[in-house]
Amino acid sequence: MSAQAGTAPYAGASLETRFRATARSEWIKFRSVRSGPAVLLATAVILPVTAWLLCGYYGHNWATMSPASKASFDPVFISLRGIEGAQLFVGAFGVITVTGEYTSGLIRGTFIATPQRAQVIAMKATIFAAVVWAWCTILSFAAFFIGQSLLSSPAKHVAIGDPGVLTAVFGGGLYLTLVGLLGLFIGVLLRRTPAALAALFGILLVSPVAIGLLGGKLSAQLAEFLPDSGGEEIFKLLHSGAYTLGPWQGFAILAAYVAVAAAPAFLLVRRRDA
Amino acid sequence: MMSETIQATTATSRRRATPSALLRARAALSAEWIKLRSLRSMLVTLVLAAVFCIGYADLLCWRFTLRWHTFDAASKAAFNPLDTNFNDLVIGVLFFGVLGALVVTNEYGNGLIRTTLAATPQRGLFLAAKAALLVPLALVSSAVIIFAAFLTGQGILAGHVPHVTLADPGVLGRVLGAIFYLTAASLIGLFIGVIARSAAAAMTCVFGAFLVLETLLDSLHGGVWQHTVPYLPSNLGNALWLSHSGSLASPTVAALVLAAYVIVLGVVATFSLRSRDA
Repeated sequence: MSAQAGTAPYAGASLETRFRATARSEWIKFRSVRSGPAVLLATAVILPVTAWLLCGYYGHNWATMSPASKASFDPVFISLRGIEGAQLFVGAFGVITVTGEYTSGLIRGTFIATPQRAQVIAMKATIFAAVVWAWCTILSFAAFFIGQSLLSSPAKHVAIGDPGVLTAVFGGGLYLTLVGLLGLFIGVLLRRTPAALAALFGILLVSPVAIGLLGGKLSAQLAEFLPDSGGEEIFKLLHSGAYTLGPWQGFAILAAYVAVAAAPAFLLVRRRDA
Repeated sequence: MMSETIQATTATSRRRATPSALLRARAALSAEWIKLRSLRSMLVTLVLAAVFCIGYADLLCWRFTLRWHTFDAASKAAFNPLDTNFNDLVIGVLFFGVLGALVVTNEYGNGLIRTTLAATPQRGLFLAAKAALLVPLALVSSAVIIFAAFLTGQGILAGHVPHVTLADPGVLGRVLGAIFYLTAASLIGLFIGVIARSAAAAMTCVFGAFLVLETLLDSLHGGVWQHTVPYLPSNLGNALWLSHSGSLASPTVAALVLAAYVIVLGVVATFSLRSRDA
């Protein structure tokens, strides 16, 4: 790698070789983020346990619920609601995947070894997304099946083959992957763990609460364009709100936030020092 | 093993010269004061807290004065000027929790903690000194923020819609309750930081405990939930400053349970600090 500047024969390393080398080094670094296994374990606890708690509760108390809350009850969303807790950990994982490297100073070694900085970030994001997506999709299915097993008639429940359900359950994994990527790109932008975490949690968790406090029509109109409440439409079966966004429209809003963070991240990482 | 070595060195130094407990405490306090004063994120967090808590409270009050004529009689009757003023504390508390966490995790992040614990091997004393400085800092800044938010917020409401003054029954109690909640949150953040030893883990726990837990569990009522959900840290805080209590605990109970949280976390943090490496 460091031979790139020194020895001419290596300068012509093919794109494929370079990609493979970057992928390998990024994979080693990703694997050895110390809190990685803890985060993945935490999500594996939160998703099934929340599904068990909430669906058990509603299955048990169905008879006492009002007709209005029965009508607005979304069996898929309730079984996947643990995502609202798990996103905290997945988002933080995305942040420290990058900022951990800035804190330890390893990033300087990384950029000397691979001066194509955008390539480093892209590879980091790809590896992160692949692992988180696979893991969270499995957990999303697990939470769904646990939840539906606890909801039996007369409580509202659905089967995986019912219209829209498969999209919603796959959506749970997709949502968490994008949240992690949002954290990762904010990490590239801010380069420091506390600042990046505060920014991510601010956008993701605090903004819906802050907008909710405003009250009235304005509050409902703004809420749907937040990454959290917009993105959540992908794992809901019933869509409400001021504009009644569908699953993919809501998901596109979250994706737009990720894109808005990613674009300056790719630009600035090439210009700023490490 | 490390603490044994440190204890051994303390024993040697004690033979040489035994600094009195008072002197040692004073040295620990002045060292912690220098570190606290020079922590950049401390100032940033406090300024952001002030801007948000005062600014957003004023914005919410102002919005109510604008929307007042659209309210029907029932909504007008349900309007509570103090709740409207303090509603943004569900977010404001996060600044104080994070402030407490950063005060200690910053030291773990840059490795200064190893020097600190070598200089002050009495780890309990180190934590006590940190807490002893954080409490007045959080108390004074939250008092300034809360009173400013209250006075400006009620000032905006006055003349347009119902408003309250500090002399009205129960108002001063809610104001002091809010200050107590924010100060307790900063101590909870500090102890979580000591237990977590990293900024990322501690901040995630603070946001989880004060924001996400409540969102996830607040819809559950009855049975076991009736006896647990009101005692989540954020619901205890709400009980201290919200005037309509609903299913929340009474303010006295909430203050006591919140204090119990702080004490239990403090004990756990002290033991964790003394038995684990830095």
